[in-house]
Amino acid sequence: VTRVLGVGLLTGWGAGVAALPEDARRAAGDRRVIVAATPAVDGERFRRATRECVLAVAAVDAALRDSGLDRAAITGPRTALVYVTAAAYGASNAQFIRAGTAGRARAEDRRSRAMGGGARSTERGGLYFPYTAPSAVPAEVAIEYGLTGGYVILVGGAAAGVDALWQASRLLADGRTEMALVLAVETFEECRDLWGRGRWTTPRPLVEAAACAVLAGHGGDLAYGPGDVAPLEMLAARHAGETLACAPLIALALARAAGLPRARVSGGWRGRRAQIAMAT
Amino acid sequence: VTAAERPRPVAIVAAGVATPLGLDLDTFWSALCTGVDGISTIERFRVDDLRVGRGGEIKKLRAPRHGRLPRCRASALLTLAADDLLARGALAADPARIAVVVGTALGGVEEGERAVAGGGPRVAASALYDAPAHALARRLAARGPVLTVSTACASGATAIGVGADLLATNAADVVVAGGYDVLCRFVLCGFDALRSLTRDRVRPFDRRRSGLLLGEAAALVLMMRDADAPRLRLGRVIGHASSSDGSHVAAPDPEGRGLVHAIEGALRAAGVGPDTIDLVSAHGTGTPLNDRIEAAVLHRVLGARASAVPVNAIKGALGHTMGAAATLEAIMCLLASRDGVVPGTAGYEEADPACALDVQAATRTARTRVSLSTSLGFGGCNAALVLEGTA
Repeated sequence: VTRVLGVGLLTGWGAGVAALPEDARRAAGDRRVIVAATPAVDGERFRRATRECVLAVAAVDAALRDSGLDRAAITGPRTALVYVTAAAYGASNAQFIRAGTAGRARAEDRRSRAMGGGARSTERGGLYFPYTAPSAVPAEVAIEYGLTGGYVILVGGAAAGVDALWQASRLLADGRTEMALVLAVETFEECRDLWGRGRWTTPRPLVEAAACAVLAGHGGDLAYGPGDVAPLEMLAARHAGETLACAPLIALALARAAGLPRARVSGGWRGRRAQIAMAT
Repeated sequence: VTAAERPRPVAIVAAGVATPLGLDLDTFWSALCTGVDGISTIERFRVDDLRVGRGGEIKKLRAPRHGRLPRCRASALLTLAADDLLARGALAADPARIAVVVGTALGGVEEGERAVAGGGPRVAASALYDAPAHALARRLAARGPVLTVSTACASGATAIGVGADLLATNAADVVVAGGYDVLCRFVLCGFDALRSLTRDRVRPFDRRRSGLLLGEAAALVLMMRDADAPRLRLGRVIGHASSSDGSHVAAPDPEGRGLVHAIEGALRAAGVGPDTIDLVSAHGTGTPLNDRIEAAVLHRVLGARASAVPVNAIKGALGHTMGAAATLEAIMCLLASRDGVVPGTAGYEEADPACALDVQAATRTARTRVSLSTSLGFGGCNAALVLEGTA
């Protein structure tokens, strides 16, 4: 069976499961979005990285600490990275859209060249276009930790979080990888107005989160498929609030904190439900 | 990967497309083989303020056979591709066992532009990248897993790989997999700003290549476990793998190490050696860097045969269709095998000694049974498929 070696967790409530409130809804009060503090990460490379990239790197760091592994243990082609998010590209997309068009870019270039500089318009409102892709977040993680193994990026809510755990287990089962990181990041603050407009989509509070599970083992016996709401799903929602794709990973963290040897985690999104079981 | 661990091949029963070359598989294929140019001046949105305003734009969408065309263009393209697919293959399974796996680089970002401009709740929800996949699943009445893959421009290949995994683990009996992306101002502005677009035509592997042009398309394949599939099929996915470069957010690894890992992984999974490859469908964007790196990778993986194996790149004909590209390329490989022809690479005129691959401008006859399709994308995404045709 797939084994969870460790889970790193950062949420709008703080670091780890210990920071989660007893009742997220009550703790949120009338706040619709609980914003995760941007962690400090070292490196000039992160100068133009987005907030969600930094959260992702910090979550992987936390997962390694929880697993008792060092960076060298995951570097190279034998560690797969499966990333999942429902919303974490929204901030960069909205920023790029709001910052205007290439018409403005050409004006920027002209100004820049007139002042003796080169073309600057690869950045729009301070954002480098490739950071608008969901793949920017796992890319920063892969660069930071030297990950060159299997690579899958899924988009969706909690059900996609379960799918990500399945995909990682599948890579382990096939012998395509020896270890797998399942990473989820959700940010909402920059698109608070859009989430507010579509509030029928999700219950409040929306809680920003970044979570990473380190998986090993041989896959198999996953019980992956449609399923009803697992107790851990309800527990994660109660303590953390709505964290979309991060929810199954938070459920795994809660299972580990409770000392459960095996956990069934589940999630729903857009009317679809999925579940999976793994050793914690 | 031992023989016991090796995933069983998955049959590709049918395919459906919506492209600038045609809104059905037969038109697409014949246009590709006869050298039709799918590149034109973009008319659907403003481009006069951009450096490059051309691309593979679909000028007119047709009405689907059933129901109405969705307002969201991404969903509309997927609807037309699904329409074409269903005309060629039936979803013969319990709806709860039908999965949809769709790859995209941009999702519903055009809806995102509308949402930022003040669109209502429905528009805001459609802006999420996974909205078109769920809309497709509803249209197909598929109630199994619905996955959206976003490994940038490798998404169409990764989606096929994930679909094959769903079948291998018995999580579904039928998978509709593929990719899509639309041309919109968001992406054109982005690539324009990166100076990746060419004012010339797209010339994959040509000495004078100077950049890419974008295109829009949707492409879907109907996949089943080999044992369950009807005898009449396009071919099989016999190996797939993905990898990350871990090198740069936008540029490919200069040595192409990630792509080498993906290709070697796919060959290992297929249980075949590089000497088995009869055709390579290259990512071939026509940018100086991509094509040079990709050629070096093919030389490293295929060895002395690299200059002798036919290599094709379809992006010269219809532009880089991003999330749809790799699925279209996989379909091209299977049709090439079925018909014994390899389409010419549009835009290719003058060989680049730095690439030294067997690329030809003209369509040629060739018996190609096993093909390798390679894909790369932003974020250091690499994917490779090994496909077996019916030749």
